[in-house]
Amino acid sequence: MKMLVIEDEKGLAESVAAYLTREGFVCEIAMTYAEADEKIFLYSYDCIIVDLTLPGGDGFSLIRSLKKMAATTGIIIISARDSLEDKIKGLEIGSDDYLIKPFHLSELNARVKSLIRRRNFGGQNEIWFREIQVLPNARKVFINSQETALSRKEYDLLLYFLSNIDVALTKTSIAEHLWGDHIDSADSLDIVYSHIKNLRRKLVEKGASDYVRSIYGIGYKFGYN
Amino acid sequence: MKLLTKTNRVYLSFSVGIYLLTALAFYGIIKYVIYDEVESRLLVEKRDFETYIRVHNAWSGSCYFVENKIGVVPVRQRTPIEDFKDTLILNRYDHELVPFRQLTFYAPIQGTDYRVSIRKSLIQSYRLIEVITLSMVAFLGLLLLCSFWFQNRLSGQLWQPFYSTLSQVRGFDLSSGATLQLEKQDITEFDELNDVLRKMSHQIHQDYQSLKEFTENASHEIQTPLALINARVEQLIQSENLTEAQSYWIDEIYRASRRMSKVNQGLLLLAKIENRQFSDLERVDLYALLQEKLTSMDELLQYKQIQVVTKGEAPFQKSLPPLLADLLMTNVVSNAVRHNQPGGYIRIDSQPDQLRISNPGPDLHTLPERLFERFKKETNQSESVGLGLAIVRQIGESYGIDITYAFSGGTHTICLR
Repeated sequence: MKMLVIEDEKGLAESVAAYLTREGFVCEIAMTYAEADEKIFLYSYDCIIVDLTLPGGDGFSLIRSLKKMAATTGIIIISARDSLEDKIKGLEIGSDDYLIKPFHLSELNARVKSLIRRRNFGGQNEIWFREIQVLPNARKVFINSQETALSRKEYDLLLYFLSNIDVALTKTSIAEHLWGDHIDSADSLDIVYSHIKNLRRKLVEKGASDYVRSIYGIGYKFGYN
Repeated sequence: MKLLTKTNRVYLSFSVGIYLLTALAFYGIIKYVIYDEVESRLLVEKRDFETYIRVHNAWSGSCYFVENKIGVVPVRQRTPIEDFKDTLILNRYDHELVPFRQLTFYAPIQGTDYRVSIRKSLIQSYRLIEVITLSMVAFLGLLLLCSFWFQNRLSGQLWQPFYSTLSQVRGFDLSSGATLQLEKQDITEFDELNDVLRKMSHQIHQDYQSLKEFTENASHEIQTPLALINARVEQLIQSENLTEAQSYWIDEIYRASRRMSKVNQGLLLLAKIENRQFSDLERVDLYALLQEKLTSMDELLQYKQIQVVTKGEAPFQKSLPPLLADLLMTNVVSNAVRHNQPGGYIRIDSQPDQLRISNPGPDLHTLPERLFERFKKETNQSESVGLGLAIVRQIGESYGIDITYAFSGGTHTICLR
């Protein structure tokens, strides 16, 4: 999977690229409009992550020219502009997602993966992690081929974990992934805890190993160890 | 009162006044002239009478004066005055009372004093006065009506540019992005007015635009470094060998940067609401929206063991942008949840004219209305940014919803009207 990160803030571009590289993507960085335009013209990418405010041009026109050349490339906008008009405009000209800065890298990662799943519609559209199988279209979870009933939030939580395997996830990022930006964090952190507890219990009951590990002071990690 | 109504009213009352005065004066003048004429003729006849007496030294009623026109009566004592007066005398033929002008004087005939009254009929003169006055009244009235109608039409046409300007200014919407388009006018004053308005709207537009750009730029400039801090912290926590102290510090940095970004977003949002940058007004049933919010917070409510009690279920409709309606209700609900107590309740009373949300909670230490101020926090909960209620009030102020906060007997109530 080849990705292009178009972002003028060097540190942020590097962070995003490093994070996604860890997830197994091949990442390139473009920091100006001209550079991005050239790269889009020369190479083809599966997904691009683009900032709207760029030196030398506007992210929207970049998206338009990309859509003309390679219509199947997934596009995720990352922007500090949070007005509804920008979001609508972004989606109208063909981008797939809109993330407002500051965002969690784990959230971006989850969105990228969800986008790629949607794009590869013809291919295998299911997620496997050892004995856990998830069918995202049907929102169904199987453990050792046995269906497991999860609540909506528990399902979302599992999918978020599966998108970020072996990654330390902060409690805040989990809460914001599940409830969006507006929920008050003090309370939601407690509910995150109770949801995670329930999810672990349900998975283990059906015969899966306990993959969730809590990290002191920070949050949780879902993974192999 | 409309300008035209006002001028019409003043004009009408003034001209009716003038009209009445003119009519009265006219009547008076005509009457005066006619009386003057009659009296001078009576004086001439008096002279005739005196000449007759002097020449003949006797008076025979038969000659010269027709019946009723003169009365000669002997008197003992004369009151030495000459006097004109109006009198009514019965007509001999048709027994009608007929108005006369009468001159009374005293004259000695053959040594005896007589009171002599000469009279002249006023019936013709009265008819004259009537006809003249009536026709004058009719003509003046017609003139009045005509000029009133004309004035009405004329000022309607004259003020037409003003009203069209007014309606355009009223329809002027800053956030729509269109400047004021005013036509060129023939009348100098209106043209100047349009010119001034055009310049003003242009200026306002530019200021608005630069303010808007400033808020957007400020948002961008602050959010980007915050995004960087966030991203770097997230990378940092991936490293395996962090000590407990380090994890703690990192978590602090992370939370602080999240809070800063929340404050920044909140302030920008307040600025945007103040600048009315949300333009798509819709009728929103806030009660339905409130229920929706409560449903989506179901887990939180269950977790905190808070019950929702609904009293009135009437729709409470207001017109405001849906995005802000959503935000308003989210903030109201999360306020009611945050300051609730375990095992508490949220009571909703929705009427067509007001929506009340109450919850039990700890006593207030500040004045209720001060809670709406920015960064005013009742408790020093570090997680809360202190902008929620400020945003609630700003939305209320901008879209005509009266929002009050009351505390009594352990119950906090937010009331929307």
